[in-house]
Amino acid sequence: MRDKKLETKLRLVALQLDNWKKLHDLITYGLDKAKPIVSSEQERQFTEIRSNLLQETEYILRELNIVSEVSGKAMSVLQRGVSVRGVRDLPSDEIRRLETDWNSAFTKLGLIQGQLKARRKQLAEQSAFDYYWSQLRDRFFQRPATAH
Amino acid sequence: MQTRLLILNADPVFQDRALAILDENDMLEIQIVRNLSEAVLACLGESFDGLIIEGDPALSLEQATNMRQHFPSLVIACLLYDRPDSESKVTAREQNIEMLPMPGRARHLRVKLNRFVRTLDSHPGTAAAEGIDPCHSLIGNLNQFSAAEILQMSCLSQRSGRFTFKSGRGNSEIYLQQGSVRHAVFGSLEGEAAVAEIFRWRQGRFYFEEGIISQDQTVNRPWAHLLIDNLQKLDETLELVGV
Repeated sequence: MRDKKLETKLRLVALQLDNWKKLHDLITYGLDKAKPIVSSEQERQFTEIRSNLLQETEYILRELNIVSEVSGKAMSVLQRGVSVRGVRDLPSDEIRRLETDWNSAFTKLGLIQGQLKARRKQLAEQSAFDYYWSQLRDRFFQRPATAH
Repeated sequence: MQTRLLILNADPVFQDRALAILDENDMLEIQIVRNLSEAVLACLGESFDGLIIEGDPALSLEQATNMRQHFPSLVIACLLYDRPDSESKVTAREQNIEMLPMPGRARHLRVKLNRFVRTLDSHPGTAAAEGIDPCHSLIGNLNQFSAAEILQMSCLSQRSGRFTFKSGRGNSEIYLQQGSVRHAVFGSLEGEAAVAEIFRWRQGRFYFEEGIISQDQTVNRPWAHLLIDNLQKLDETLELVGV
């Protein structure tokens, strides 16, 4: 069976991860000294991805219940990385901080995605009756809910 | 077998009514893209049974028309936030694009989307039959040789026979006679439209059977003209994705 809320969370986390990957690609390009030219198209893409992340991150993290863990790091990346050229001109300690914060946000989202996928796999092997029966049983005996 | 659906939605996080409904369908594999260039890139790399473009009528129709020019066999629907005007409806009909104004009620939207998904299941392009006879005179893989290269080679050597291309998008046939393309067919497409479609395939297999001639003639232009036109079209498609 399929859990509607779980599918929504999976969709949101996939969209969020996709944007973080694209942002990373452009940051990596910006930091690559062997590639001196930054095109206006790349800057436009960077702004678009950053704008999507600024709009959506808070909402998605809240939906995933990880806002307190990831929000600060995510905002730190978005505030430091204002453009591809801007990233290139950052001092080295700021660059290191940017990479560390990006990695923290990305790792947490990746872990959540894995957990959600595992939950989906588990649910796919369950019938609707089994699912609702286990929900009822958990509520009746007040078992702690599984994390998803 | 799952139906593969590509969804072009500029704001998939906040405008997700249709996505939430499509998520419920076990038999559907969905890929979401946010702009036209991502959609083109996705269609070049993978095969999809259908495309839904969500948004305002004018922009959605413009994007759908653009996609239709580059992917003639793709089933396209526009899921519109407002009602389209009569001119847009005519354009959509001409381009074989389905217009689906988004209803207010979730139940009605579900009915509309499910109906569209069912049409994809019966689309001829989705049937991918496999099985290649080792006796065929030329067998290969489109990952290594593009359709353009194979046809160029066969036309230059004045071959007559039938090329069969098999991919996730379906099967297609191109008939050659004395080094010229005589007839091409892919699903409901025939002639140059079918040739244009096959030119874009980057995955799949092909084989050539010497001596099979088609009675039908749907292509009348010389191979060189077809090649130049289609390579130019392919360049335009690649320009859209900034490759």
